[in-house]
This record gives sequence, C-alpha cells and structure tokens, in this order.
Amino acid sequence: MSSNFFQLVRNEQTKLYSQLATWIMLGILVVVVLGFALITRTADNFTTDYDEATWKQELQDQNESLAEIDQADTQILINNYRIENDLMPDGMTAWDFLYDSNMLTSVLSLLTIIVAGGIIANEYRWGTIKLLLIRPATRTKIFFAKYTSVLLFALTALIVLFIFSWLFGMLLFGLGGDGSVLQVKDGKVVEVSVWTRIAQDYGLQLVKLVVWATFAFMISAALRNGALAIGTAIFLMFAGSSIVLFIYDKPFAKYVLFSNLDLTQFTTGMKLVEDLTLTFAVVTIIVYYLIFLVIGWVLFTKRDVAGN
Amino acid sequence: MAEPAMQLIGLKKQIGSKLIVKGLDFDIQPGEVFGFLGPNGAGKTTTIRMMVGLIRISEGDVRIQGKSIKSDFKGAIRHVGAIVENPELYGFMSGYKNLLVFSRMIPGITRDRIDEVVKLVGLEKSISQKVKRYSLGMRQRLGIAQALLHRPSILILDEPTNGLDPSGIREIRHYIRKLAEEENVAVIVSSHLLSEMELMCDRIGILKNGELISIQEVHSTDKDVPEEMVKIDCSAAQLENAKQLLQEKFGIAAVDNNNQLLFPISRDQMPPIIKALAVADIEMYAVAVERKTLEDKFLHVIGENVIE
Repeated sequence: MSSNFFQLVRNEQTKLYSQLATWIMLGILVVVVLGFALITRTADNFTTDYDEATWKQELQDQNESLAEIDQADTQILINNYRIENDLMPDGMTAWDFLYDSNMLTSVLSLLTIIVAGGIIANEYRWGTIKLLLIRPATRTKIFFAKYTSVLLFALTALIVLFIFSWLFGMLLFGLGGDGSVLQVKDGKVVEVSVWTRIAQDYGLQLVKLVVWATFAFMISAALRNGALAIGTAIFLMFAGSSIVLFIYDKPFAKYVLFSNLDLTQFTTGMKLVEDLTLTFAVVTIIVYYLIFLVIGWVLFTKRDVAGN
Repeated sequence: MAEPAMQLIGLKKQIGSKLIVKGLDFDIQPGEVFGFLGPNGAGKTTTIRMMVGLIRISEGDVRIQGKSIKSDFKGAIRHVGAIVENPELYGFMSGYKNLLVFSRMIPGITRDRIDEVVKLVGLEKSISQKVKRYSLGMRQRLGIAQALLHRPSILILDEPTNGLDPSGIREIRHYIRKLAEEENVAVIVSSHLLSEMELMCDRIGILKNGELISIQEVHSTDKDVPEEMVKIDCSAAQLENAKQLLQEKFGIAAVDNNNQLLFPISRDQMPPIIKALAVADIEMYAVAVERKTLEDKFLHVIGENVIE
C-alpha cells in the first residue's frame, strides 16, 4: 500500500525532472537570487560597515533621522539597545542576506503554482491521463501522489533558494557573526537566534505559497486547464492584499481568505481587518485549504475522462 | 466453456437525459480477438472507456476475470492492458523511461520483463530515444509495449491502426493474432475500418446508436446469411423507375450506388426480377452477383449512416 504510494510519488518526480521546463524554472530562481544579491551589494545603504570608534555616533544619527519619519520605528529601540549593551552591529552578512531573501519566496510561489497548475492538467493535455488511470492505483492515490510531488518541488526549490542565497551572500557580504539578530517583541528588545529567524521569516511566507499552490492544484484537477489554474492563482496571490483594501470595513471581511493569509500582520501588529486574531486567521486558512483540496479531490475522482 | 475474460452486463451510459450506450450484454472469451465496429458516434469509445473505468457506468457492470470494474477496480484493471485512442506517451522521456514509469505502477514487473517487451515489439534500437522523436508507428509499438508489461489477460486497443501505413497495419495485425493464439490473451479491437477488422478478428460486434445490433462470426458468414448481393447497372435516367419497380413488385429496397442498384437477395429469386425489369423496358448494361462482404453486411445492418 504505502510502497505503492511511494512509487507513485517517485514517478511524478521522475516526470517532473525529465522536463526541461522544471530545470529552467530552478535556473531562473538561481539567477533571481544572484540578481538580488548584486543589487543589494551595490545599494550602499544596505552594506554600511561600522567602524569600531564611530559606530555609536552613527547609530545615534540614524535614530534621529528615523525619528523624523516615525517616532515608533522599532529600529530606534534596537539601536538604543545596541548602544546601551555595547553590541556593535555586524553590518551586512550572508545571514542577513539569507533573511532578506525571504522576499524571494514570491518567486518560489510563482514556480510552485506553475508546477501545481500543470501537474494534472498536463496529463489531460498530453492524453497520458488515459494510461495513468487504467493502472491498479486508485484515483485518490494518484491525486495525493501528485499533490505530494508539488509540495516536494516547493521544498526542493526552497532548498535551492537557501543554498544559493547563502552562497551568494557569503561571496558578496562575507560570513560574519553567528546570524542572530535583535528584534522588538512586546516593546522589549530580544535576541533571536538564526534558526528562529529563518523559521519565522520563511514560515509565514510559505503558508501563502502552500495555499495558492493548493488553489492552482484544485483548478488543475477540477477544470483540467493548466493555463487557467496558473493564471487565476497568480492573479489572486498578487491581487489578494489589494482586494482587502476595498472590503476591510465590510462585516464579511474577516471571513475572506485574503484578509487572513498574510500572517505577518500579527508579528508587526498592522492588522488588515480590525477584529482579526491569530487563531481565527489560522483556522480560516486551514478551512479554505481543506475546501480547495476536497473540491479538487472530488472532481478528480468523480469526473469522467471523456474524449476530446 | 471456460470463464469469459470479460463480461458486459446490461451496460448503460447516460449523459444528461441521453442514453449514449443502451444496454450491452456480451462475453469475450480468452484467446479471442473481438472487433468492435460501428460508425463514429455509435458509442464505441464510450463503451471502451467504461470497460477500463475512465468513464463511470450508469447502469450494469463490466466484469473482468469475474471481478467488477465498479466495485473491485484494482482487482479488475490489473488484468487489462489498453491503449485508449492514440498511443499518447510522455514525449519528453525516452521510450525506456516511459516503460519504467508504468512498470512502477504495478508490482512485480522486473527490468527483464521490460527488455522482453521491448524486444517483442521490436523497439530495441530506439528505446533510449525521446518519444517525441518517434514516428507514429514507433509510438503505436511503444503503446502496445506499455499495455503488455504486466502480462494482461485482456488487451484493449482502440483504433489500433489509426494513422499507420500499410506495413505498420500488417505488423499490428500480426502481433494481435500472435498474442491471442500463443498467449491466450483476449483482444478487444475497435475500428470503423471493416476490411481491417475482417482480417484481424474472430468475432465482430456491430454497434449502432449505442446498441449492439449484431455479432458476426467472421469466418462463418456464408452459412449465416445465404443472401448474395446483386448489382444492376442500368441507365441513369431509369434508375428511379427501376427502384420503384423493385419496391412495388418484390418489396426490395434497393440502394442507389454510383448509378448502380444494390440489393441483397437469394440466387433463385433472380430470374423473375431480371425478367420484370426487362419487360418494363429498363435498359440494363450488366447484372452481377457478388458475394456479400463484411462491408456490405455492415452497411446492410447499419442501414444508412445515420447518427441520432
């Protein structure tokens, strides 16, 4: 039973990585990371190297200019903490670049959506679905093997993103410090270790990725149209937060997926909809996620594979 | 008699309010090549897709080696190898990798078996090439190879000679006969090409508007139908007169075919008909008696090529 499922996932991976497009997508990811690293390097305000003698004064100056814009900027608290505790900032390091690369998870989402939107629809387009579904494996198993394969691709791409971010970060910024950073939590400055930071920065972004990839997968399974699946998922992913701006004061706003999906609103405290809580958001996301999966699963297993 | 390889029991398919397949009942024996013949739209493909579980059965059942495709899909389908419509395989993978992927979906297929099947269909030289470079004939062979991997006891081929050149057709025909005779495989072939079917099949079921209107034994046709086909070549101007005369005096519905009248009749009824036509001053250039071919029988049984 389980070995059968493992073989199905293995088959999906074989098919995925036999396609040139998959390798091109991973190549694009690497190029994007490199480009992002080069831009970061050349934009000098990112790469201030602090001098042993003058860093305290520099932070003071920075605080003054920050305060002019926003008195409540958390960076001011962090800078003060550094000055009080005699902790000189490391400047830009490979670790910092790795954190910053969490912005690139939107590229990762894009690629995962492309894979998710195609993985079932392509079998219909190629006509191979007819060979796939006449084997002693239930449609349910094939559906979840394909879904697992999508998640595995996302994981692989994430690892590629990590490795190359760290690699380019090390080449361009050097390896300094232990990667821990200072963060403001409940008005207090705390030191956060490297892995906590990574889990937090990437984890919240990955929630979005998984939800939209699942959405694309659902459309792909239900309507058998890859372009439609990829198009709608990408559109909703990017338009989602703008849509919230139009509906945030409506009573139903808190039940809309877009309002809940950006979990960073709970770490920054800037909520999209007034009365949202973290628990409510997590539950709502899970409900939507399950609805997507169930719709895709039901339609994939029940619909006839008729001629064209 | 041995247990039938496949049984169709009151098989029906309804889409909306329309019955596409109106209750099929027949058995297919091991070692038999069964032809499924009918004009386009008769329900051949729908029936074949129901046999392999691609389309849901509205009513009735298909039993494969005694196992129901509805309630025991895995148990039933493991005895079946099939190509549904075109042999569509993964073009971006080599022939060998295609077979490898399909072999992983059914336990117990060794690499030796893959090599054996490749040899059987004569693809040794091109098996490591990508399938997108294959000719249609090579694809058809690879399609047969994937269908044979797990030593099925039933082979279903939907339009197997579609788009093949004459030598390719002869080759496929040869495989099919060999499999039936040497390995006792039951082969189900669908086609709208009659001459093809005549050469390949032991029995032919004729399907029209979703109903099985006749099952013919290919090699004993003469005994079943004593009628012969009469062709009368007469002047074009008098064609209608002659037709009318036949209808009125003898109750024969002749078919107009390129200014020749065609109708089936037994030999001893011929003289009075010729006499009557001559007396009526119908100018006849030739009267010929033809042995009824399957094609004529087909047209006769089907009537006009009307698709409701």
